[in-house]
Amino acid sequence: MTRAHRGRDRSPLATTTIVLGLLLTLVPIAYLVSVSLMDRAEITSGILVTGEPKWQNWADVLSGSPVPRAIANSLIAAVLGALLTIVFALPGAWAIVRYRTGGRTLAATLMSPWLLPPIVAVIPIMALLRTVGLANTLVGLTIVYAFVNIPVAVWLLEGFVRALPVEIDEAAQLDGAGSWRVLVSIVAPLVSPALVAVGIIVAILNYHEFLLATFLTQSADSQTFTVALSLFLGERLTHTGKIAAAAVIGILPLFALATVMQRWLVGGLTSGSVK
Amino acid sequence: MAKSTTLGLPPVRPLPRQAPRRRAEWAHRVFATPSVLSLLVLGAYPLIFIIAAALSESSLGRPFQQFVGGDNLASAVADTDVIAALVRSTVYALGVSLVSVTLGVVVALALHRAVAAGSFVRTLFLLPLITPPVVVGIIWKLVFNPSGGLLDTVTRFLGHTGAPLSLLSSTDWAFPAIGVADVWEWTPLVTLLVFAALLGQDPEVREAAALDGAHGFRLFRSITLPAIRGVVAAVFFIRLVIAFKAFDLIVLMTSGGPGQSTTTPTYLIYQAALQQFDVGRAAAITLLFAAVVTIVTIPVAILTRRLQQ
Repeated sequence: MTRAHRGRDRSPLATTTIVLGLLLTLVPIAYLVSVSLMDRAEITSGILVTGEPKWQNWADVLSGSPVPRAIANSLIAAVLGALLTIVFALPGAWAIVRYRTGGRTLAATLMSPWLLPPIVAVIPIMALLRTVGLANTLVGLTIVYAFVNIPVAVWLLEGFVRALPVEIDEAAQLDGAGSWRVLVSIVAPLVSPALVAVGIIVAILNYHEFLLATFLTQSADSQTFTVALSLFLGERLTHTGKIAAAAVIGILPLFALATVMQRWLVGGLTSGSVK
Repeated sequence: MAKSTTLGLPPVRPLPRQAPRRRAEWAHRVFATPSVLSLLVLGAYPLIFIIAAALSESSLGRPFQQFVGGDNLASAVADTDVIAALVRSTVYALGVSLVSVTLGVVVALALHRAVAAGSFVRTLFLLPLITPPVVVGIIWKLVFNPSGGLLDTVTRFLGHTGAPLSLLSSTDWAFPAIGVADVWEWTPLVTLLVFAALLGQDPEVREAAALDGAHGFRLFRSITLPAIRGVVAAVFFIRLVIAFKAFDLIVLMTSGGPGQSTTTPTYLIYQAALQQFDVGRAAAITLLFAAVVTIVTIPVAILTRRLQQ
C-alpha cells in the first residue's frame, strides 16, 4: 500500500466504482444465501430476506441428500488430482524452460488443447476410460483431472521456474548432483510458494468441473458436487430453498480456502499467467 | 525466453563429462513425459478420434462403423440449426468478452487508484471466480426467477406493474441474461490480471507525466493504456476462448431454450452425442466449431502478439 499512496490523491470516481462493483459482485451471492433460508411461500412472495431463517433446508441437505457425499467426492478428486498435476507439471516446466526439452514444438503446442471446448475430449476420454475399466469411478475422474490440468500448470509454473537463477542448478550439477536431486532438493523448495498457488488454482478448477464429471461419474457413489447439484435442480419437486442451501454448502469449502490462502492465490495467478 | 546457457557450449567440455550429460538429457525427457502424454491423450487422440468419427457412421457404443466420407460434414453445413448456433455463439462470445474486458479494466483502474482498497476488498472481488459455474447458474436462475426473484422484486419495488419480467423464457432476452451471469463470473479474472499489469508499470513514468500536467483521461490514454494494452489484449483473447466454451450456464439456466434461442454449438454437440447417440454428427459439428473458433480467435492472437512487442 505504501507505493500506492505516492503521487495519488483521493478519487471519488474510483471509490464509487469500487462500491458499485462490490455491490454487483456480492448481492447475488448474498441473495443465494438468503434464499437458502426461505420456505416455499417466502420464495414466491417477493421478499429479499426472511424474517425467520429456515435452517431446516440446510439440515435436509446435510442429512438425507446425496450432496455431502458428492462434496466429499469432489474434494477427493480435486485435491488428489491437483497433487498429481503438480508432481507431473513441475518436472515438465523445469525441463521445458531450462533445457528446451521438446524444443519449440512442445512449448508452443502445450496450451493448444485448452483452446478447444472440452466437449471435444469427452467422448474419446469416455471411450478410453471404458476400455481400461475406470468409467464411473472416482479413480478414473481423478486421473483425468490430473492430466487435463498439466498444460495449465506447466504454463503457470514456467514464469516461476524461469525466474530462478540458472547458477543455482548449474552449481548443484557441478557438485555432482543428478537431475533428479537438483529438481527435488533445489528447484522444488525454491518454487514451493508457486507450487502451493498453482495447486490451489488447479484444485479449484477441478472442483468447478462439470462437463467431464457428468459423463465420467454417473453412478451415485462417484458423483461430484457439481453433478449432484445439477441433478438436484432437475428434480421438479425439489424445493428451491433446498437447492440454494446445497449450493451454499458446496461453495463454503472454496470460500474458506480462498480466504485462508488469498495471498498465495492472487500471487500465483498474477505472477505466472501474464508474461 | 530462457537463456540457452547449457545448450550452446558442448565442445569445450572434457570427455568424461559426456556420459552424465547424456544421462541428464534422458532425465529431462522423462521429466517432460507427463506433459507430452497429456498433450497426446487430451489433444492429439481426441482430435484424431473426432476426425475419424466425422468421416464415418458412428454411434456412442460403436464408433467408426462405416466410412461415409464428407456426408456428416455436408449435412452439418446444410443444417440451418448448426449455422445459426455457430453465428449465435460467435456473437455471444464477442459481446460477453467486450463487456467483461471493459468492466474488468474499469474496476482494475479504480482499485489501483483508490487508496483505501486493500487486499480484503480485492479478495471479495474474486468471489465470483471462485464460485463453480454450476452455482453461478443457480444464483442467476434465482435472480431472474419471474415469481419472486431478485430482479422481479426490485423492478416491482421501482414501480413496475403488470406481467413479471421473465427473461429466461423470452427468446430475445434469454441469451443476454446468460451473458449477464457469464460476465459476472469472469470479469474478476480480467480485473485481477489487469490489476497485476498496473502494479507492474513504472510509477516514475506516471509521476513524471503527472508533473508535466497530464491528468485524468489524458494520463490514462498516453501513459497507462500503452503500458497495459498488451495485457488487455491477452486477457481479451483468454476471455474470448472461455466465452466460446460456455456450457454449464446454458445447461443450468435454459437447456438451450426457449426454442433454440440459447443453443450453442457446444450444446448441439452434447445433444447429438449424448442424447441422440449420433457421434458422427457430433464430430462433424465439432470440426465446424473448431474452425469457427480458430477463425475468430486468430486475429485476436495476432493483435495480442503485436501489442506485446
